Amino acid sequence: MEAVLQAPRRSFVREWVFTVDHKKIGIMYGVTALFFFLIGGLFALLVRTDLLSYKGLFDAQSYNEFFTMHATVMVFLVIIPMLMGAFANYLVPLQVGARDMAFPRMNALSYWLYFVGGIIILLSMLYGMPDSGWTAYPPYSLTSQGPGMDFWVMAIHIVGLSSILGAINIIVTVHRMRAPGMTWNRLPLFVWSTLVTAYMQLFATPALAGAVTTLLLDRHFNTVFYDSSAGGDPMMYQHLFWFYSHPAVYIMILPAFGIISEVIPVFARKPIFGYHAIAYSSVAIGFLGFFVWAHHMFVAGMQMSAGIPFMISSLVIAVPTSVKIFNWLATMWRGAVEYTVPMMYASLGFIGSFIIGGFSGTIVAAVPLDMHLHDTYFVVAHIHYVLFGGAVMCIMAGIHFWFPKLTGRMYNEKLGYLGFWLYFIGTQVTFFPMHLVGLAGMPRRIQSYAPIFQTWNQVATIGSYILGLGTIIILYNLMVSAKYGRKVGHNPWHARTLEWTVSSPPPEHNFDEIPVVTDTPYRPYTPEELTASKESA
Amino acid sequence: MSSSSWLPAQLTSMAHNVDLLFYIMLGIITFFFVLVEVLLITFLIRYRRSAKNPVGAAVHGNNVLETVWTLIPALILVFMGAYSVRYVYEAQNPPAKPLVIEVIGHEWFWEFKYPNGLDTHNDLRIPAGQNVLFDIHSADVIHGFYIPEARIQQDALPGRITQFWVNVDAKDVGKQFQVPCDQFCGTGHPIMVGQLTVMSPDDFNTWMQTELQKQQAKS
Repeated sequence: MEAVLQAPRRSFVREWVFTVDHKKIGIMYGVTALFFFLIGGLFALLVRTDLLSYKGLFDAQSYNEFFTMHATVMVFLVIIPMLMGAFANYLVPLQVGARDMAFPRMNALSYWLYFVGGIIILLSMLYGMPDSGWTAYPPYSLTSQGPGMDFWVMAIHIVGLSSILGAINIIVTVHRMRAPGMTWNRLPLFVWSTLVTAYMQLFATPALAGAVTTLLLDRHFNTVFYDSSAGGDPMMYQHLFWFYSHPAVYIMILPAFGIISEVIPVFARKPIFGYHAIAYSSVAIGFLGFFVWAHHMFVAGMQMSAGIPFMISSLVIAVPTSVKIFNWLATMWRGAVEYTVPMMYASLGFIGSFIIGGFSGTIVAAVPLDMHLHDTYFVVAHIHYVLFGGAVMCIMAGIHFWFPKLTGRMYNEKLGYLGFWLYFIGTQVTFFPMHLVGLAGMPRRIQSYAPIFQTWNQVATIGSYILGLGTIIILYNLMVSAKYGRKVGHNPWHARTLEWTVSSPPPEHNFDEIPVVTDTPYRPYTPEELTASKESA
Repeated sequence: MSSSSWLPAQLTSMAHNVDLLFYIMLGIITFFFVLVEVLLITFLIRYRRSAKNPVGAAVHGNNVLETVWTLIPALILVFMGAYSVRYVYEAQNPPAKPLVIEVIGHEWFWEFKYPNGLDTHNDLRIPAGQNVLFDIHSADVIHGFYIPEARIQQDALPGRITQFWVNVDAKDVGKQFQVPCDQFCGTGHPIMVGQLTVMSPDDFNTWMQTELQKQQAKS
């Protein structure tokens, strides 16, 4: 403690800008991602506000820019960097018992690339925003006017590079830097899931780079990759894009599954049920995730029957996911469940909402049903139950769970519960009605719509305002509590993973002495240990 | 459109089949949804932490259970897939000697070309009880040709022809439905909506002839 007090105070630039410490980089990723979460959320609210009236409140061009920016920001600048930049960066070295990432400077580089990519997206707000949806299908994206699309391509490239570098870092760290005794069978499930995710990022992201590079060449250098009149094929772009972007959906949910696997056993005070089943199902999802991409293209011009193998693989990938759900439920069975804020997000928030997205996924995976539901609001409902009911709920569980580790302080619990309930209710009110209008055939990405759909759209808009209010309350709570929250010890939840064995916040090099691991992290505290830890605190 | 929040009217026998498949899957899903939610809420309440229940049971897993909850979902999902395959081929293979209507997507309207040379904008009319095949493509960017009441759509692409066919029930003669564009195509995307009118075969033929004469008289 004295050593820390005597350390010279470093300037902000030295402390943060030039840092190569994985924890600081992780926090920088997290803060930046939360900033973009506000930006992306603002665009979502603009989209929903437009839809308050069936005539649309904004003009079509602005509306198209809003939904393009919403999805681009949320996918590339919020969820992926939050999970694989913030959480994985902060936690993986700590959880495997390493002093830092394998390549600390490359780690800083991947953050700053992400930062630059984000700035480019922000700049497009000044110079003209992209308007062709986050999927940017040619030929439409080729004809898009103004520099918006070019900003978009540039940002995707840079963020993609950041993603690949980050993935390499995590893969090498997990394979090479585990502490003595940290065998694969003792590896925390969060680390298992980030490892699989990192492999997915490494193998999938180059396809995206190829897709957007050819788009740029077609736009400015007279190539004809996607010009059918000159022998090009616009469908090729869709194959490349989804070869990245379907794995990307799992990139956005697997680390989130990992967070849940850490949170539930701690608050159920019970060993995780089926450790190996959960770990191997992550590997199965990572592998199968590369064989489902064309389920986005059932009606895109493929022969209908060519969709059958992709329908089967998309249904099969639901199996490892349901295995996880059952194992989490079984972890709570005969447990001693404490209703903390992270546990509420993980149980009711995540499991309770995410399964709706999982189930609707099997509906749209069936080719005959997708013939009807493709590109309707049903798909919008599905993806938001997966990404908001799934990924964002897990991110919130994780933020509240590790908040005391990051800051040494506890968030305000009352505000924490309030934020949770606003999120839980807001999610259902916003996204459930979208299933209904989607079934009735309301297409997505439309700025005005048939009057009969107005009531449910207004309900969804009210829901989105509830989510907006929840977001403000959650972020206010985190910001104020980081400074004024109640001080807590190094292990307030009585968890076993290695990050809880060091001080909060952890020392600069994580471990004074590299720990020797002798046990699984999922053995809960015994009553005697609990009493002992209470006395020491 | 007849419904604002559920499946719309069924225009074809294929729409009946697709809805049947939907309801079967919805039934299975609802069962598991209720099961998971009930278990979740029950466990949250029944096993909450208290002075009497400070720590959970030392249970690490159960291989029989793991096998059961891997195999049962797998079997059900494979059943769903296998059951769906038949409808895919049904939708894919057009019947013999259909009436062919060419569908061309433009920014931002639908152009329909009928067998006798008649050419309309946003005005799609089809005879009931006959097999109608749509040859779909685009003059510019990708559009989506979608008939919600027939439960089917195909993208309209430049340089490639996509197809689907319908055979509309005679009970729907005289009814009108909307044909929205279902693939984002720019600022006119929301207003790119055609109108589908179901006619009796005789009325359809008369209409096709008189409209063609009107068009020729104009030009």
